[in-house]
Amino acid sequence: MKRFIPVSLVILALLLTASVVWASGSKETTPEPAGQKVTVTYWHTMSDPEAAQLNKVISAFEEENPNITIKPTKFAYDDFKTAILTAVAGGDVPDTARIDIIWVPEFADKGWLLRLDGNMAGFETLINRTFPGPRATARWKEHYYGLPQNTNTQVLLWNKERFDQAGIDGPPATIQEFAADARKLSNPGKEQYGYALGGTYFWAPAPIFYAMGGRIVSPDLTTADGYINGPESVRAFTLLTQLYKDGAISPNLLGGGIGTSDGHASGKYAMIIDGPWMVDIYADTYPDFNVHFAMIPKGPDGNTSSVVGGEDAVIFDGSTHKEAAKKWLAYLLSSDAQKTMAQVGVIPTLSELRGDPALPDYFDVFMQQLQTARARVAHPRWSDMDGAINNAFQRMLRGDQSPQAALDQAAKEIDKLLAE
Amino acid sequence: MAGTLIHGSRRRKIATALPFLAPGIILYVLFVAAPIVYSFAMSFFDWNLSNPFQSTWLGLANYRKALNDEVFRRAIVNTVAYSAVTVPSQIALGLGAALLLNHKVRGQPFFRVVYYLPVITNWVIVGVLFKYAFNGQAGLVNFLLRDVLHLIGSNVLWLGDPVLALVPVFLVEIWKGVGWCAVIYLAALQGVPANLMEAATVDGAGPVRRFFSVTLPMLGATTLFLVVVRTIGTLNGYVSNVVITNGGQPMDQTHFVLTLMYKVAFGSLQFGYGAAISYFLTVFIAIVSFVEMRVLQDRGSSI
Repeated sequence: MKRFIPVSLVILALLLTASVVWASGSKETTPEPAGQKVTVTYWHTMSDPEAAQLNKVISAFEEENPNITIKPTKFAYDDFKTAILTAVAGGDVPDTARIDIIWVPEFADKGWLLRLDGNMAGFETLINRTFPGPRATARWKEHYYGLPQNTNTQVLLWNKERFDQAGIDGPPATIQEFAADARKLSNPGKEQYGYALGGTYFWAPAPIFYAMGGRIVSPDLTTADGYINGPESVRAFTLLTQLYKDGAISPNLLGGGIGTSDGHASGKYAMIIDGPWMVDIYADTYPDFNVHFAMIPKGPDGNTSSVVGGEDAVIFDGSTHKEAAKKWLAYLLSSDAQKTMAQVGVIPTLSELRGDPALPDYFDVFMQQLQTARARVAHPRWSDMDGAINNAFQRMLRGDQSPQAALDQAAKEIDKLLAE
Repeated sequence: MAGTLIHGSRRRKIATALPFLAPGIILYVLFVAAPIVYSFAMSFFDWNLSNPFQSTWLGLANYRKALNDEVFRRAIVNTVAYSAVTVPSQIALGLGAALLLNHKVRGQPFFRVVYYLPVITNWVIVGVLFKYAFNGQAGLVNFLLRDVLHLIGSNVLWLGDPVLALVPVFLVEIWKGVGWCAVIYLAALQGVPANLMEAATVDGAGPVRRFFSVTLPMLGATTLFLVVVRTIGTLNGYVSNVVITNGGQPMDQTHFVLTLMYKVAFGSLQFGYGAAISYFLTVFIAIVSFVEMRVLQDRGSSI
């Protein structure tokens, strides 16, 4: 009988485990009754000013749809993915959410998101009004699982003071000029550099990579061989590696140096490539600094390009209010809602709003860049692919491998991820 | 073997005790025992988060994957090195601090507080501060080494180096652990009988001899306790690593086992693989603790 309590504890543990597994596995969704008041939950990671502006959007929507109440919940970005995972595991998902674009293929592949094409009235019209780059982020296996709610891209920031001091007229128009300017503006002895990247994660070299014609995988997402290690991609990374070796790029990109925002405003980094949030960041931290934007310099084929970021609005498959949720999503993509959010620095995804006087002035260069900006690989294993490219970039910067060899290795690693 | 009948009075005792034990038992089962069993089961599947019953059976594949994973092997090396370096350091320095704090001097309470303060600081905040201090281009450490002490010629890119990036992580652990070990040793030092020390002094033992022959043996049990507890604690290291190295950067070479587990499970959504990694750590910690207790208990005669 001494064994009674320990044994019963183990049995109790097993029973509890079994019941938890059983409970989370069997969820039934009851259909929503028509004509009744419905609450649609909406999870997001908006900043405080954005969340305050969101309330205006919600009021306008609720006026048009008196039977629907929107209940927003704000999360910190670092906690958001875990919060969603917990909701999914516990069977208590929100109806809608605004999630990072790179999570859409991941969640869609696991069956957590509602397929929207063919399932939502007016979807095709809506999605075709968005910029092509953001549109591609919501697509997985020939179907769409979200609507691009807001987007952003990266453009060139150039420090006019440093350019004037060096006698350079204006920002570089081509990649060739960019490389020459970066070299001219560098003085490693005085810890001044012509160009700095935030790190070696793909988002940092992506604009130059895409402007130079680089690609990561084949359009049908079956192979990376010949793409990430193809001639254009290798050429782009070789240029960056060479600039680094020649002292034109700050060593901070290897890890733990002076960040790009501080370096750029203090004159250490003459050029950086970053997003629209820099306007608010500099207004806060370096109010006397005048930030200058320019399009990403054109690559050898005469075209500019950049990388797309942002968030997509999605509906969870476990939602019990799918019809109301669809109305909410459609409203978020209306030009009224998009223009309202634009007032707090959120770039709209509707291409027709380009040049609209209601939008802040500095949006112009970003929305122009968005016409040619590309989405990264819309695949569930993207973050591991990012890791492969990140590590390859590190290896070539440290001289462990040539850019071709490093990217060949990355291609092998990415092919493995595509096959899984 | 005793019979399976509980006789009257014993049954009454259990019945009386059970309601008092129940809340604790329920909490323990719910939040400790059940997750242990649940995650062990997870490690054998390609776990499906939304529909666990649709998980694919993998057998030992997750465990094999970990052993073949270069990143996991490096994480093990990092974690073991972390424990092997920081545990003896904080215990030795903690003992030194305790001996100093044992002297009756003016300001003794003040110094005791100061030495203990690091223990109650927030890991994240301290991690971020050390990260700033070790910044390769603008950090305090490089400034001191290069511009003040002239020990190095040019800036060391601490956080960009796969080995050096762990230096601030190690230092945070030692800095935080010294005070905790010191307080525990301080308490133990009060238990060293004064008459033994007097006898040793009378016999002609100097302070060093007194320390090694009287004090240290009396601290045997405390030392064993600190070694085991700090080993378990450091093998579970997570927060300072993630804050300082940004999750294994550069090149996934600075992971600890738990930071890798978190990345794999909550980043790449491979919960079964993450569970397998965590069980490798569990078994390892159990073995190490067991060995430590055996070795140190055999040595310490006064335990």
